[in-house]
Formats: sequence, structure tokens, C-alpha cells
Amino acid sequence: MVNWLYVALQAILNGLLTGALYALIGMGMALIFGVMRIVNFAHGAFLMLGMYATYVLFQATGGSPYYQFPVAGILLFVVGYATYMVLLRPIRGQVDFMVILLTMGLALILTDGAQLIFGADYHQINIPLLSRNIHLGSQISLNAPWLVSFAIALVLACALYWVVTHTMFGRAARAIAQNPYAAPLMGINVNRVQAISFGIGSAAAGIAGALLLPVFYLFPEVGNQFKLKSFVMVVLGGMGSIQGAAIAGLVLGVVESLTSLYWGNEWALAVDFVLFILVLSLKPSGIFGSQRA
Amino acid sequence: MKRSFLLFLLAISVFFWASCHGSKGPQADTFKIGVITSLTGSNAAFGQAHKNGYTIALEEINAKGGLLGKKVELDYYDDQSRPDQAVQGVSKLVDQDRVSIVLGAYSSESTRAIVPVVTQKQIPLIIPTAVADNVMESNSPWIFRICAGSGSFATATLDFLRNNGNPKKLAIVSENTNFGQANNKSMTEAAKTAGLELVDSESYQASSPDYKSLLQRVKGKNPEVIYFASYLLDASTLMRQSEQLNLNPKYYTSAGTGFAAAEFPTPDKGAGKYAEYTFSVSQWLPSAKWKGSSEFDQKYFKLAGSHPAYHAMEAYAVLVVAAAAIENAKSDQAQAIRDALKQVNLAETPFGPVQFDARGQNQHPVLLTQVQGGQYKVVWPIEAAESKPIIPAPEWSKRQ
Repeated sequence: MVNWLYVALQAILNGLLTGALYALIGMGMALIFGVMRIVNFAHGAFLMLGMYATYVLFQATGGSPYYQFPVAGILLFVVGYATYMVLLRPIRGQVDFMVILLTMGLALILTDGAQLIFGADYHQINIPLLSRNIHLGSQISLNAPWLVSFAIALVLACALYWVVTHTMFGRAARAIAQNPYAAPLMGINVNRVQAISFGIGSAAAGIAGALLLPVFYLFPEVGNQFKLKSFVMVVLGGMGSIQGAAIAGLVLGVVESLTSLYWGNEWALAVDFVLFILVLSLKPSGIFGSQRA
Repeated sequence: MKRSFLLFLLAISVFFWASCHGSKGPQADTFKIGVITSLTGSNAAFGQAHKNGYTIALEEINAKGGLLGKKVELDYYDDQSRPDQAVQGVSKLVDQDRVSIVLGAYSSESTRAIVPVVTQKQIPLIIPTAVADNVMESNSPWIFRICAGSGSFATATLDFLRNNGNPKKLAIVSENTNFGQANNKSMTEAAKTAGLELVDSESYQASSPDYKSLLQRVKGKNPEVIYFASYLLDASTLMRQSEQLNLNPKYYTSAGTGFAAAEFPTPDKGAGKYAEYTFSVSQWLPSAKWKGSSEFDQKYFKLAGSHPAYHAMEAYAVLVVAAAAIENAKSDQAQAIRDALKQVNLAETPFGPVQFDARGQNQHPVLLTQVQGGQYKVVWPIEAAESKPIIPAPEWSKRQ
């Protein structure tokens, strides 16, 4: 095979590995948006929280985040559930702007709180797996931690999809998404379903944070760039479609990687947002998936 | 309604009472020096190094009785690693706190942003660590810089390469703010003069988790030398991912900063074993021959529990220089301090001799170090070398 083909293939594979984590983050955001029409500006801060929780756990036990990630998931589920019950429920039905302000404020509090407790300094962890590379032939090499996180993210993404499409809870959530006024008339406990959705969406961000920790570094503002990307994914995926957001995550990863390879790294973010604006203005219903979850 | 109004009045009076008490006390008998650095944000590691350096110099100055008979106090402003905040810092320090001299900032980006502001406010600024040469381009009479600039970095690196294997194919990888771009520009020009072929020039956005595509591009161009201009977080990621992609130039060289930070060769906060064999320019090391270097190292170790890199020393040195100028000026007026700075001629500081030329630049020699066994070892120039450079860097697959 010619050399440039290997190079492109390597870049696509790298993009998919990063994209799976994006997908997990984006699906969490899409679930929350789909069921509640809430634009969650605290999504990045929840991811950061998941990273710090995993970091503290790693410091205490020395165990790899690749099997301790459920802790971050459970913690963030509780945080998300509580956030909905305590903060968001009282302002439901009011203008969307209130919700945006509230989640933004929450994000600021969480970020600054992390800065107070852990300091602004960055942290990273070092696990033996980090120096393992898997070689496919002589040209392609994949880093083991990224592969592991890819596998975990893929399984979780499928599980989330299955929950939304096949369980009672998922059916209730979709019913609320379709018609928030008719759903309670059918006997659906809207508050509970929305709180659980918010919890699951937050847990997805938390788990993505846990999986990012070994391959990235940790500082209070780490969530911001992922929050922006999750907006892009939600729009690309079709405003609340979780399978759409998942595909959008993978596509985003690959597009960034290829842009970086052929145009240079400084263009990668620009391409994200060019896509974002193009889709918003030309096809507001998104490129992938249906209109709603 | 009435009660809330009373509460409001109470709150306001408490506020005023507190603010009067807050600012009145210390001003009378202390001498305030303004400091802008990055205590939070992505450059916090360097800001902390700055603060440690300043703290050591401050203790020494106050132990000798302070300045002009007053105890010296450092008035810190944290720019959060952001240039707009650095600009606000100048206003706060000068207009509110009435300092007559400012030291800082940390990054080239923040420093370039404050140069016009201090010039307009007519306050002297001494720059410890901003290496981008454009911070000196304004020719403002209020600006002094103690560190060597990006041009000197490029020349020193090329000088070393010419005498150690004379490679011909160069790639530059730089972050996309002022620091990276200035070094990219300096190296591009210097390489052209030196007759090297620039096979690739990349810039990237720092704080990205993934530079693999960028490194793949570099790999495709097959350079013998890579010259990085990176901060710490990106430097660590770049080296880890170089290994993943099996990118094997003969020389990994760099414009210091991330590649020269004390944390860089450590596994917990830097690149660990992936830092091995990388070259970096440096402006100072604990082993430097200048008098006071090892004492500074010991004090720093006592304070911070780690050994300092040159950023801490440069912060220390600017405060020492500022103190000397204030002593000579025998005044706390900005104009007098500025004039004294122009006359500064310190033959012996732990950072070497300090004297500013007509443009406010201190002529400081640049060293080259290589990470060997987790330590920075000086390998160039020969008269200062502690150990021989290891060339080429072993291929990743042949390292254990």
C-alpha cells in the first residue's frame, strides 16, 4: 500500500479514538437537551468534576481509571439528579434564558470551587498502560489507553442507546421529548424521568472525564473546550438525537484529525465551528438522525 | 422595606470601614513593588516558579533592611494566564495601588499586551521571562528585559547543531500565541541565514489532547531536527505522542520554556522518560558558575521542595535589579527609578552580570541543555558543558 494511504488511515483511526470520547460527551448533552430542551452549560464542569473525582480516587488507591470509571459515573449521576431536583425543577416552565444563566452560574461555581480546593495547577496521572502501543503492521500504531477508552465509550454509548430505545424509562423520556404536556396525562412522572435523564447525561460527561484523565491533564477549566464541542455535536446530530450526537462525535474526531493532518492543527477548531455554523444556517435539523430522541 | 434600607446602609458602612482599614495601614511604612504573573490558568506552574523566585529575593532584601528605609512588599496581580487580565493588572497596580515599578508578566503574550500600557502610564517595567523579541520592538524607554530573546535562542541552537553533526533538514513546531510564533519567526530567519532547509513549519493550539495528526505531518516531511516552542502541558503531550507515532528525528531541540521546566523530566507532572535526550536552550541552571547560584538553589529547594529552572531565577533577578535601581535612585518616583535602571551595572548576580543596553535589553548568554537520566545537563557552549551531547536521540523502539 502506498505511504499516504497509511498516513491517512492512521489519522482516521486516531480521530475515531478521540471521537468515541466526544461521542460519549455529546450523547450526555443530547439526552439532556432532547428530554428537557435544556442547554446545559455546566456539562463541561461536570466532565471536570468526573476527572477530579477519578484523580482523587487514583491518588488514594492507585487503581487505574479504566476500571474505576464507574465511580465517577455514579457520583455525577447523583450530582446531576440533585442539580435537577434542587436547582432546575423550581425554574421549569420559565424562560429558557433562566436555565442558561443557572447552568452557567453552576459551571462557574464548580470551576472556581475546584480551583479553591485543588488549585489552578494542572495534574496528570501516570499508569503503566500509557507506554503500551499496539502496532498493526509496520505503519500503524495505536496507543493502548486510547483503545481501552474507545472500547469502554463504545459499550456505554450502545448501552445508553439501548436504554433510551428499549426500556420503560427510555419510552417515558421520549414521550416527554415528543410532547411535555401530554406525557404527564399518560401517567408519566415527568419530574422523575427528567431528573434521571439529567443524571444519566451528567454521568456520561463524568465517565468521559474519567476516561480522558490518563491521556490528558487536569485543571479546573479543562471542561470548557469539551463543552463547546458538545454544542457542536448536538447541533450536528440533530438537536437532541442521541444517536445523531454519537455519530457526530465520531465524525468530529475524524474531521479534526484529518484537518490537522492536511491543513495543520491550528485549523482543527476552526473547522469544528465552521461546520457548526453551516449546519445551523443551512440544515438546522442536523445532518444525522431524526429531529428528536 | 425600612428594615432592608437600614441593612443596606449598614452593609455600605461596613464596606467603607473595611476598605479604609484595609488600605491605610501598610502603605505608610512599606515600599510596594507591583508584580504581574500567571498564578492560575495553564501557565500556573511557571507563575508559581516566579512567585518562589520573588519570595526568595524579597526575603533577602528585607533582611538587609528593605529599600529607602522601608520594608518592601510585593503587590501581586494574577493574570490567569490571559493577556487581557494582565492589562487590567497594570491599571490596578498603578492607578489603585500606586506602585512606581512593575515586574512581569510571565508569558510573551501577556507581556506584549502590557508594554504599551506601562509606556503610556510612564511606569518602568522589567521583564523576567518573555522571550518573544517583539516585546522589545516598541523601543519604549520604560521597558527593560533581563532574559535573552527568541533570536538568541535560535542562534544558540543553530550554533550547537552546526558543531554537532551539522544537520540540514529542520522542522519547526510552535504553539500559536506570541511565544511560539516569535520563536518560529526567529528560527525561520536564522535557519535561512544558516543554510538549513525548513521542511515543515507547524503551529498548534496549546491545551489540545491530541497532536498525533500534527506529528504525523512532521514525520511525513522526515526532518533531521525538530525545534519546538511549547509550554509545559503541550510539551509533555507532544513527546508522549512522538513516541506513539514512532517519530524519530536525530535531534529534538526546543526554545526552552516547557522543555526546560523543572517539571518536564518528571513522570508525575511532565513527560517523564519521554523527555529523555531532548535538547533545550536555557538561561540558567542551579549548576551555573555565577556566584550565588547554588545558594539560590538551596533556598529554593527549602521553599518549594524542588530544584528551580531558569524562570524562577529570572524572577529573582528582576527583583534584585529593581532593588538596586531603587537604591541608586534614592526615590520612589517612576521617572527616577527608570533613569537608575538605565545606569544599572551589576557585575555579580546569580543570574550573571546585568546591564541594559540602549534598548533596555540585558545581554545574557544562552546555554543548551540535554535531558540525560532525568536531569538537565549543559552540553553547549563547550566551555560551560557538564556532559557530552548524546546524538542522535535513540529511536523509540530501541529505548527500554
